[in-house]
Amino acid sequence: MAFNFNWSPLIADTSRARDMLTTALNKSPKPPIIVDDIIVNELNLGSTPPELEILEIGDLAEDRFRGIFKMQYAGDAFLTLKTKVQANPLNTYLSAKPSFASPQPLAAASGLTIPLQITLSDIRLSGFVILVFSKQKGITVVFRNDPLESLKVSSTFDSIPFVRDYLQKEIEGQLRVLFMEDLPAIIHRLSLRLWSSEYQEETQERLDASNDTTAPIDPLSSPPQDAVDAFGNPLDPAQISALSLDPTQDMHASFSQKNILRLAALSESQRTLSLFTPSICEAVFRAWASHDRPDSGANTPGLTQSSLSRIQTTFGSMKSNTSSVASGSTGNETQASRPSLVSYSSAPAGLSLGANRSRTHPMRKRKKRVVNLRKNPNGDVESSGVSTEANTPLQKEQEEELATPPKSPVKPSLRFETRHGSLDVGEPSRLPEKTNPEGLLPAAPLSEPPRLSKSKQKTKVPIPSPIIEEPEKEKRSGSSKPPLSKTRLQATQQTTSPLLRSLSFDRVSTLSSSSKNPLSPTYAESTTSGGILEQAWMLKMAQEIARKVQGEKDREAARDRQQHAPPPQAPKGPAAGLWEEEIDAPPAYHA
Amino acid sequence: MLDFMDNVQNAFYEASHWNIDNSYGALNATARALLDFQTPRGLKLQISSLSAPNFATSYTLGNVGVVDGSVSYLYSSLPLRREFKSSELDLHHAIRGYRHFQELRRPDEDWWWEVWHSGKRIDRRDTLLYGRIFLPQSTLEALYLRRLSPTRQLKISAVSDSSLNNGGTILALLQNDVGKYSTEYMYSTDSALMGVRGLYNFGMDPRVELTAPVTAQEIAEPVHGRFSAGAELYYGLLNKSGGISTGLRFTTLPNHTGFPYTMTLTLNPLMGNLSSTYAVKAGSNLALCSRFDFNFYSYESELQLGCELWRRRRDTDLEWAVKKLRADWKRPTVSPDDDVSGVLKARVDQDWRIGVLWEGRIKELLFTLGASLDLKRREQIFRGIGIELQYSS
Repeated sequence: MAFNFNWSPLIADTSRARDMLTTALNKSPKPPIIVDDIIVNELNLGSTPPELEILEIGDLAEDRFRGIFKMQYAGDAFLTLKTKVQANPLNTYLSAKPSFASPQPLAAASGLTIPLQITLSDIRLSGFVILVFSKQKGITVVFRNDPLESLKVSSTFDSIPFVRDYLQKEIEGQLRVLFMEDLPAIIHRLSLRLWSSEYQEETQERLDASNDTTAPIDPLSSPPQDAVDAFGNPLDPAQISALSLDPTQDMHASFSQKNILRLAALSESQRTLSLFTPSICEAVFRAWASHDRPDSGANTPGLTQSSLSRIQTTFGSMKSNTSSVASGSTGNETQASRPSLVSYSSAPAGLSLGANRSRTHPMRKRKKRVVNLRKNPNGDVESSGVSTEANTPLQKEQEEELATPPKSPVKPSLRFETRHGSLDVGEPSRLPEKTNPEGLLPAAPLSEPPRLSKSKQKTKVPIPSPIIEEPEKEKRSGSSKPPLSKTRLQATQQTTSPLLRSLSFDRVSTLSSSSKNPLSPTYAESTTSGGILEQAWMLKMAQEIARKVQGEKDREAARDRQQHAPPPQAPKGPAAGLWEEEIDAPPAYHA
Repeated sequence: MLDFMDNVQNAFYEASHWNIDNSYGALNATARALLDFQTPRGLKLQISSLSAPNFATSYTLGNVGVVDGSVSYLYSSLPLRREFKSSELDLHHAIRGYRHFQELRRPDEDWWWEVWHSGKRIDRRDTLLYGRIFLPQSTLEALYLRRLSPTRQLKISAVSDSSLNNGGTILALLQNDVGKYSTEYMYSTDSALMGVRGLYNFGMDPRVELTAPVTAQEIAEPVHGRFSAGAELYYGLLNKSGGISTGLRFTTLPNHTGFPYTMTLTLNPLMGNLSSTYAVKAGSNLALCSRFDFNFYSYESELQLGCELWRRRRDTDLEWAVKKLRADWKRPTVSPDDDVSGVLKARVDQDWRIGVLWEGRIKELLFTLGASLDLKRREQIFRGIGIELQYSS
């Protein structure tokens, strides 16, 4: 197998790269010797391409690629920078020192700023590169180690050894930062621009296909009038607004340093089971945004169901023994959550289970939910008591609510009580009243977290648990899910991609792979990228879990059949009291 | 406004007859006071006290960024008699402005300092110890000051801070001042910087007794100015870099009949920097200063203008009556500068960066109100604004 790397087009136009380098170089605080902005004057990538040795290829298709390379570069690339420096060494030396113990010279430290031209040449690089390419999401290059081996800095001050050494040291330090942090971002942005035309075309195609209308010049600003989806079903205005507005949100999927740190802390807490998870406002958590994952990737519906049922227990279940849900544990939650599902199944109201089933496929198959319901043996059995027509409108609402993280179970589900006389355990966490008025799937979660007031603190606790659980699950369900968040970039990927995925149109087409998502311009390769090394382990884990889930399912089905006949034993007191009790002791603490 | 502890240190210099102005480092002290003053940022409170003549404490609290503060203690073996109560202290001591040089005084004889008791010499060298810790940063400043002899002083200052190389730095400074000339030798542990400074005053030597009879010409044209020349040289052993500068100063003495003025010219031949300052005290309440910097390597130039204005309260109701009664009648005031309502300092440079400072006393509090502005930046004119309050007892 051979790859053909075409080096020449990269040499052609470097003006954009120059601009980006300029901004990248001026971003970090500069040493005191540099008293002006650093401007990249000339950038030549040279004619010698880097030597790449393929170590591993994780994913390979026509439009995507992921692999690890060993890179050796000893080419003739050079870079010329222009800036102004402080030529008086005493000045720079004293500027970094406290004035109390400074000699305080009278005029010996007076400054002399000199325009400086620095040429970086003879760059020797050697390192391991993780390259992820996807036609839609561009190129991501991440260095596993510090690639800079050596570098020659020639400047105006080569005759002064002190200044030369100083410059050499400072520039090497800056370049290391550049390679490790800034260069991946620059390359990604550049690659996005390179494919931006295709990217936009494809976006429009998808919009056309889903709307069956002629594409407007700016489909994002003016939603189509009478929209129907790919199956001919008319789309309701809320959905259209979601479709038309989401891409604009996609465009700004940049993250502040603070948020990235928080996300890193969050991912840390997943691994350490830390109780202190940072709250990230205006963020949609992967657990809620990515229920479409199993459909788009490997098909493990059991996992999704169990996770959802578990979530319901954490929010809505009574203090029955079934509520002993290991909300925090990431390893066994599928097993632990099973009994809770059983408790739901035991509820006589068939509707509740029907709703449960429908909720398990929240966003991925909007139009096919009925089909899904019938496919599901549990749902069929349980929803027998209630007519399907009665089910569907409710389900629709529930589905819309699903995108939102579950809020406090403070308000009991009045509707279900009145209609069926018994309390539906699963419902109250998603009340019809709480339905997002727009029905805008991605927007709803964004607006959710602030609504969690102090009074609902306790109920807030369970929320992290799905978050903890879900990425793990994704890893397992996805063919090769690496432990992400190695770098900041990946941290962004982790958080952006679920959002993007949830916003994407892929939920319509069930079989399309996640990488075909046309609307996510950011690093959505989190679904496919990362530690190939853990691939085998992940596969093994996935198989293991799938097996366990299957076993659970069988057991559950058996129990369902047993418990179907007897009347509900779970809801004993009045509904309101129950919910208050729930508030007092959220199930997350039971675990 | 000077920090309380700086004020106490100056009092120590004064009590031990050390002329801080007779040093190359203080060659352009006037221009620095009028042009390089610091404008406060944020709110800063200082409570200090000279609880005993030998011991002073000071606490500061500021809100630059987060709340930070410092605690400082000072011990002086020499009892300090100057008034430090904020309600009574002389504002001229606390506010640096135009420095009007006096005639050089003759250094103390060694034997003046000797104290004998029952055949034994029991006198001690005057010493000052000072320490200050900045609390959130855990930065420690320490100062050891010792008058080795009437013409010699050793000053060791140290800063301990984890952010510095080697965790801190120490500067040792040995100063000699015989009036006619002064020399300083210094060594800094940071990059092993060594330095020499010297200042020579032209004109008569204060050490030489006037033996010749005073001629008529000397009486007719008294010495009304002093001309000084100095140089400094630094060399860092570790980074093999150095610095050099020379300077000239002419300043008028008290028996100058016109406006007092000071001119300095400093030159850094290595870096090609030439700086000239001119300061004039255009009245008892007004001082003006200008500075022009020019670099003959890079042709960069800079101009700064500054002024200092003492505003005094006028009791207009009484003034006409006082004038009528006795034109040159001066009532003894309870404390010096009791009628000072405030001191305005302002500076501006050629880039329209402006610094304004309003200092004074309200009741028992000394206040400093300052702002720095940048008129070139329309979107953000105020670069910094702040207030400092000092109380001392």
